[in-house]
Amino acid sequence: MSSQHQFEEVPLRERLATNPRPALVWAVGLALLLLVELGAVISTLFGVFELVASVAIGAVSGAPQGIGPNSDATGAVVVSILNSIEQFGNTLPTLLSRSLIPNQGHQVASGAWEGTFLGLPPAYAWFFRVVLIYAYLFLLLWWAWFGYRTFVEHYRQADWTPRDDVVDRLRGHRWGQFGLVIVVLFVGLALFAPTISPTTFEQDIDRPYEFEVEYFDEETGTVETTTAGDANLVSSSQGTPAYNTGPLSYDEFGRFHPFGTMNLPGGDLFTFMAYGARVSLFIGVTAIAISGFIAAAFGLLTAYYKGFADLSVVVISDSIQAIPVLLLLILINVVFADHWLTSFYNGGLLLALAFGFLYWPGLWRAVRGPAFQVSEQEWVDAARSYGQRSTTTMRKHMLPYILGYLLVYGSLTIGGIIITTAALSFLNIGIGAPTPEWGRAVADGRSYVATESWHIALIPGILIVLVVTALNAFGDGIRDAIDPQSQGGEGAANEAAAAGGGG
Amino acid sequence: MSRWSYFARRLVLAIPVLLFSMSLTFIILRMGPLDPVSAIVGTNNDPGYRRAVARSIGIIDAQGNPIPLWRQYVAFMTDLLTFDLGQAWVVNRGSDVTELIATRAPRTIWLGFWSVLVALLVGIPLGFYAGLRPNTLSDYSASFGGIVWRAMPNFWLAIIISSFLVASNQLTGGAFNWSTWIVDTKVITAPPLEDLTDPENLAVAIKQILPPALVLGSSSMGNEMRVGRTAVLETVNSNYVETARAKGVPERIIVWKHIFRNALIPLVPIITAEAFILIGGSVIVEEIFAINGLGKLFIDAAFQGDLPLAGSLIYVFVLLTLIINILQDFLYTLIDPRIGYD
Repeated sequence: MSSQHQFEEVPLRERLATNPRPALVWAVGLALLLLVELGAVISTLFGVFELVASVAIGAVSGAPQGIGPNSDATGAVVVSILNSIEQFGNTLPTLLSRSLIPNQGHQVASGAWEGTFLGLPPAYAWFFRVVLIYAYLFLLLWWAWFGYRTFVEHYRQADWTPRDDVVDRLRGHRWGQFGLVIVVLFVGLALFAPTISPTTFEQDIDRPYEFEVEYFDEETGTVETTTAGDANLVSSSQGTPAYNTGPLSYDEFGRFHPFGTMNLPGGDLFTFMAYGARVSLFIGVTAIAISGFIAAAFGLLTAYYKGFADLSVVVISDSIQAIPVLLLLILINVVFADHWLTSFYNGGLLLALAFGFLYWPGLWRAVRGPAFQVSEQEWVDAARSYGQRSTTTMRKHMLPYILGYLLVYGSLTIGGIIITTAALSFLNIGIGAPTPEWGRAVADGRSYVATESWHIALIPGILIVLVVTALNAFGDGIRDAIDPQSQGGEGAANEAAAAGGGG
Repeated sequence: MSRWSYFARRLVLAIPVLLFSMSLTFIILRMGPLDPVSAIVGTNNDPGYRRAVARSIGIIDAQGNPIPLWRQYVAFMTDLLTFDLGQAWVVNRGSDVTELIATRAPRTIWLGFWSVLVALLVGIPLGFYAGLRPNTLSDYSASFGGIVWRAMPNFWLAIIISSFLVASNQLTGGAFNWSTWIVDTKVITAPPLEDLTDPENLAVAIKQILPPALVLGSSSMGNEMRVGRTAVLETVNSNYVETARAKGVPERIIVWKHIFRNALIPLVPIITAEAFILIGGSVIVEEIFAINGLGKLFIDAAFQGDLPLAGSLIYVFVLLTLIINILQDFLYTLIDPRIGYD
């Protein structure tokens, strides 16, 4: 404990001004790290903005004409500007790109590879790119951690805060760290999907007949050209040894498939999974953002006002939870089948919104207890008697306490959402072709499970299990860190609802 | 607040919950972007049929004038609450929904019963076993297995298990064939539930339901294991167990009387939550294992646009959920005298 009991609050800006060096070092490092990926950062960021703007315009005009850069509705001009910035971002140099470390090439008569990175076989070139991408991602995360340490060492006024204990406990929690690493791998797969895949979405799934593949034909001994679509057909996995390209193998066209190929019309499974991870992550994050916001708002309001406010939210949330969520989602998907919202990601956005408005009761239940606890504290009473506005009290004195719990149950719920999304896609509702979704890969591979082409259904399932387990582990880690006393107990029922998902 | 007034409060709260969730269903069905009449008639362009459907589900009156939404709402709610569930339009067209549910429900109940039983019989013993031997290899393998088992999506597990069972003869080189094992059954079909007093029929029905029951119970099994383990760990370290041990009570009695019974309390919500998961999960499992129960009926109704049938089924499911919830509160009130004092 500091011997100095009363110190003066100095704004962070002044603390930075008196000792700018560590902060500058960190900021320059961050800027450099982002600069090497400038193109990807800009195109991803503005891609998200474009989506948000399209939805907002669609919601205001109530029809799909607001969507897309070429339409003439009011506000469509915003979308087209955002779209052109996104396209501009794609033209900017990006360090970790397919063109820097290409893995698509062809063999020549001598057996050497042409067109790949340093003439390496495509498998190694691809693997090298994957390693670099994850090295970059972990470096970025480490840099963020380093930034936090810099802040604690040089700029924080208090010697100790309760958060230090939380961080300490998390550092000793191996199970939670295992979860975090897998989650980062998953997020990396999603964020870097265009770069990390052996081929691209356009070439593999969307418009395979508009791209060409060069390959070495052993019969004629020359390099031939065919369309990617035809190559996909020939190299597809159909359950017999003659028609199968398994995991970690090359197809007839010298293309490397880390997870093998899919069934007709073929295509690379890893590419499908990477873009599918994008969709899963998008749905999970959007849904959690919406339901987390509703849950936090209701949690604070019910804990602050209690009584009737609490009772009415209990009734509403119980009513939503009383309907099996899977049935409700199926119903929503059927009812909204021709609605303009389904034009985003082939129904992915609709699903994300539906999850957002159906999953908040579980989260609210999880934060209700902690919110009640904190509302009984003296400082809340004190703030109230000082005449502080209720919203300020909730935001400043109650919200920080429940955020940790939101994170815990949010990560459990994302697992449930990923499973349920996959289940719906498996049933052929939810997300339709061509947008990739893991559940559809399982559905595609359903009839090949006990055959040569087992990988189509098995690999997506294993990845789902891995990601969901990791999210649960991460949630466990955070819970043990913020609340070491709780061991299962009352959270268990929530967990059951969150992780089981029914999918 | 005494335990029983707490229970009474929960009981009374179920009424607005039922009304609210049915209102939500009404909003989705009647105020959503899909016109219920068009969904039913599909490609049938006969205006007479359209009018008949619209009149029958209460959107227009006998003269063909549209009925205002609030009247539709009142009619919708009173029909459901009085169990006048109407008739099916697309799935088994013309048949009475109540009858349809009555013929389909036994298969779903059979499935649910066995999945609860399988999960209980595997999950709880494993959890208690792990909890009584904390931090040993068997504890770790049981715990890890439970965690992974719980994270497996039902639909995935279902297709893996069904595929392997179908191909069991080839895969084991003829050593094991699920289809002919003990009694002849198919893997993917509904279990025959006629005359279960006959031992052979009973064996067939049980054998057929086991794979889907295992899938449906999977996530609950993992949960029961985890919670059972923590509960045992907590009771083992509690004072009364220590006291009993100090008094010289035999270890067997300590385990069965003092640990086992108290560790069951936190499992009550898990078991009832399981029943809850079953209702939603049955949709997928029934679809994959081709069991034409209520879940499959709902999917067919939704996919084929039979919205009134889907609405009636949701009402049944909500009712079931609420009954289970009340049952849970009742059990709690009986088992745990501390309830209502927090």
